[in-house]
Order: sequence, then C-alpha cells, then structure tokens
Amino acid sequence: MKRNNSRQQPVSLMGTLLSPLVGKGHGRPLMLVGIGITLFITLMSITAPFISPHDPTLIGFGPPDSPPTAQYPFGTDQYGRDLLSRTIWGGRFILLVAVTAVLICMAVGLPIGLVSAYNGGNLDRTVALVMDSIYAFPSLVLAIMIISVFGVSIINESLAIAVIYIPTYFRVVRSQVLAIKEMPYVDAAKSVGASGPAILLKYILPNVISSIVVIATVNFADSILTTAGLDFVGLGLSVTLPDWGIDLTYGRQLLPTGAWWTIFFSGLMILLAALGFSLISEGYAERTNPKLR
Amino acid sequence: MIMILLSIVFIIMRVLPGNPVLLRFEKNADPALIASFTHQLGLDRPLYVQYVDYLWGLLHGNFGTSMAGDFEPVGPQILSRFPATLELTFYAFIVAVVVGVFLGAFGARKGGVPDEGVKVFGILIYAFPVFFLGMILQLVFGIWIHLLPVSGRLGAGVMPTGLSIDGVQYQTGIYTLDSLLSGNVTEFIDAVRHLILPATALGLVISGVFVRMTRANMMETMRSDFVTAARARGLNEKTVVYSYALRNAMLPIVTIMGLQFAILLSGAILTETEFSILGLGTYLIDRVNFRDYTAVQGTVVFLALLISSVSLFVDILYAYLDPRVRL
Repeated sequence: MKRNNSRQQPVSLMGTLLSPLVGKGHGRPLMLVGIGITLFITLMSITAPFISPHDPTLIGFGPPDSPPTAQYPFGTDQYGRDLLSRTIWGGRFILLVAVTAVLICMAVGLPIGLVSAYNGGNLDRTVALVMDSIYAFPSLVLAIMIISVFGVSIINESLAIAVIYIPTYFRVVRSQVLAIKEMPYVDAAKSVGASGPAILLKYILPNVISSIVVIATVNFADSILTTAGLDFVGLGLSVTLPDWGIDLTYGRQLLPTGAWWTIFFSGLMILLAALGFSLISEGYAERTNPKLR
Repeated sequence: MIMILLSIVFIIMRVLPGNPVLLRFEKNADPALIASFTHQLGLDRPLYVQYVDYLWGLLHGNFGTSMAGDFEPVGPQILSRFPATLELTFYAFIVAVVVGVFLGAFGARKGGVPDEGVKVFGILIYAFPVFFLGMILQLVFGIWIHLLPVSGRLGAGVMPTGLSIDGVQYQTGIYTLDSLLSGNVTEFIDAVRHLILPATALGLVISGVFVRMTRANMMETMRSDFVTAARARGLNEKTVVYSYALRNAMLPIVTIMGLQFAILLSGAILTETEFSILGLGTYLIDRVNFRDYTAVQGTVVFLALLISSVSLFVDILYAYLDPRVRL
C-alpha cells in the first residue's frame, strides 16, 4: 500500500519532516528564497570573526557619523565605529535569543499540547484556558513585564519570548491531536495493546510535526522582531554590543540630521532575518497544506 | 479569562522570584529603608492577602499607587494616557483594514502575477519591524521633503479645548475629536497631520495579516456556489467580487479582529516610542525605566481588561453580522 500524507494512515516522522523539501510544486520558490536568506544570515553571523573587516566595537575607528564611502562601505556611527563590521557581527545575539526561545517553546509547548489533548478531561480544559488567556494578550507587553521583573539577559529574553509563544504551539498541537486521536489507526494501535506514550510518539507526533515546522519558523521571525522591539524600548542587552536592534535604536538619534545609513543596514538585516523565516514558513505551509494553494 | 490574566500578572509581578522593591534600590541600600518601603506598599503581608487586596482594589477601579517617589494613584495616569493610544490604534486599524482587505480582494480576483505580488507584500510587510518602517517614513516625509511632522500629537502651544457647554469643558483627549467638537479646523488638520505617519507605519505592518486572511477567505468564497450562480446570472465581475464574495469573506476576518487588537497594541507601544506620542505604550516604557512596578502592573491590568472588552465586543458584532449565530 502506498503511503501518503492524507492523515488517514500513520506516517513516518522524518518522512513528513523532510518530504516538503524535495520535488517541485507550490511554495517551492518562496521556501528556497527563504532558506537562501536564512543560510546567508546564519553563515554571516557564525563566521563574523573571520569575515568582518574591522573591530565592531572600536570607538573612533573612523570619523564620527560618516556617510558610506569606499573606506567605510556602510558608513560609521556617532562614535566612529565601522557599521559594516557591526552589521556583520550584529546578528549573533538576536539570533541566539531567537534560537533559544524557539527551542524552549518546542520543548514545553509540544509535549504539553500532546499529552493534554490526548488525555483530555478537566486538566486539558484548564490548561487550554490559561494558554488562551496568554495567547490573547499583547505579546510585547508581556515580554516587557517579564524582563522588567527579572532583568535583562539572553536567557531572560528567550524565556520572555518563549512564554509568549508556547500557547501558539499548544493550541495548534492540541487541535490536531484532538482530531487525530479519533482516527481508526489510533484505535487499531490501542486494540493491539500499544501504550499511550507509544501511540503519541509513533502515530500522532509524525502527523503534527509539519505544523510544528510552520509554527517554529514563524516563531523564529516573531522572536527576532520581538527581540528587536525589546532593544528598541531600552530593554536590550548591553548598549555597546554590536547588535542590529541596538544599532537601530541608537542610530535613530542621528535621524534628524538625515543620516540614513545609521538605521538602514541594521534595520534591513532585522527585516531580512524575519523575512527569511517567514518565507520558509509560508512555503512549507503551502507545500504541506493543500488548502492554501 | 479576565481572572486568569489578572492572576498571571499577579504571579509574575509578586510570586515568582525577583523582588521589585530590591530592583528599585541600589545594591548597597539601607535595609531599613527597603523594609519601610516594602511595608508602605503592603508587600510584607501574606501573599493571599495581597492577592485578595489586589482583586478587591481592581473591582473598585483602584489600580494601585505609583512606586516612583510620589505615591500617586496609577489609575488616573493611565486614563490620561489612554486617549492617545486609542486614537493611534483606531486610525492604524482603518489603514490596516482598507489596505489589507483591498489588496487581498484584488489579489484573489486577479490571480497570477498580481496575486503573487500581493502575497509577497503580505509576507514582507509582516516581517517589517514597525519602528524601522516608522523611521523610514520619518526620514522620507519628515526630514527629506519636510511634508509632515515626525513627532508628538500637535504643534507647539496647541491644545484642543473640546466641547464647551455652558462654560464647562468636555474633553475626550482624542485630539482629532476634541478639535472637531470645539469647531477648530486648523487644530483638526494639525492633529491629522501628526497622525498620518504613525498610523500609516502601524497600519501597514498590521495590514499584512489582513492581506493574507482576506486573500485566503476570498479564494475559498470565490469557489462557492452562490458566486457561480451570481456569475451565471450575468452580473459583472466587480459586483460579484466586491459585493457578493467580499461580504461573505469578511465574516471570518471579523472574528480575528479581537486578536488583531492585541497585535495592534504591541505595535502601538513601539510606534508611540518612535513618534514620541504620549500614550499608554510610552507610559509603560517610562514606568519600566523608573522601576515603578505598580504602574507597570496597573497598565498591564488595564490592557488585559481592554482586550477582554474588545473580544466581547467582537463576539457581539459577529452575532450581529452573521444571522446564523443570532439567538
């Protein structure tokens, strides 16, 4: 019998995860552009120490507030720091926060959603109510509140962002599990004596995993935007770090003089990073969900 | 749901480790001073007493007193900042709905290249940090071509008086409304000019969601029988799309408006900061920087109540629009 993704039959975990990456069809250009942008930004951030032309933190490296020239291709900021080097270095923290946040979200939201929906009952309803309440709340306000109480650090920023997005994972996983657990093949597995955890891992999880990819990539994009937002309202990491969010925030002080380069490159990088992940998400969703075509 | 949100706020602010009073002081502050401050705020009482007290206060409209030196009640401060946020989100919402619904419907009608363009616009604009878009607008329209003001809500020395009846002033704090009520057209134009850039920045970013929703709903609606029937009766394509299909495609969009409002508020915080608008967002940031935790908590609670009321309103609106859910 031929296996497919129609949810009528159990599918394998890696198969569902990777199959949308190969073959032609809907969403492929979007996804490839997204993967290209994301790879470019990731590689740039990882190799920053080797490819950056100058020290990004060196004050007075060039003249202050210099427009882009041959010597300083992206210009310099008000302290005379080289903006090209800062742009190359600037993704490290923002991406690290995003990666950590997404991992925490997955590690918490996915199991809670699976178990809560599979077991059902009052506990499930209570958890769902709490999650829905958090979901309905303005994410940035919640993040600001958490950071303001716990202080600024990479782990606190990641945790604050994770708290905001766990409900999204929970909701999506829960609604799918509620549908899948009524499928005949789940009953069949139960009737041959498969245990609860085995059913969850072998029969239900593989069906949920493609939506998890979609949420996780959107989550990446949103985490980047939220981290930049936190930087912007003054709750970012140290102001001396080369960081897109912080550079954008302090670069805008020069805006009244018409200095576009102090905001343009850092802002563009945040936009590109968020865009890359959004494109992957959109493309992947189009490929796995026929309704979107 | 309101209770749960209020409890979450309480837990984060008071129960979890992390002491707002300690954060307020320097590390080597006098312990006696800290103790008296804690006592004054009632933070040394048992947690359940604090919790009941907090809910009881909220029931009476008491949002607590400010921790930043002067111990002023937080409630009136929040209320004085709220109109600016309301005004900004209202106009931004209009921009978002108009741009989003129009583009979404346009893409779904045309198909092909225009549709792909609309789709990419939806993704691109959603990935835009709202303050970056704001900066670009400020730079282009405010600094390079000097067309529009880039900060604040009104020019210097201007203040709408609001409606005046028998010498008594009734002000809403919403400047575009107040200036109209007092019949001052110059002020109204000034207020609108100040709103154009922030409302456009925020509205455009939010419109991404509307573009995607409208497009997806329209494509589904366009396939339904009543659209085919309308076409078969020979109605022209524009009538079919905009008055038959769009009206039905709007229904699911109304249901997500409640959630959109939450996204709108997050964006409003950043937009207010970028455009120096004295609204709730800048108030929140301001209080965070002053380590004024009761004010932060009060603002968050106020927003929670606001969102609950909006989602209730959206539910009622939905019942009104969709005859199927009418009782």
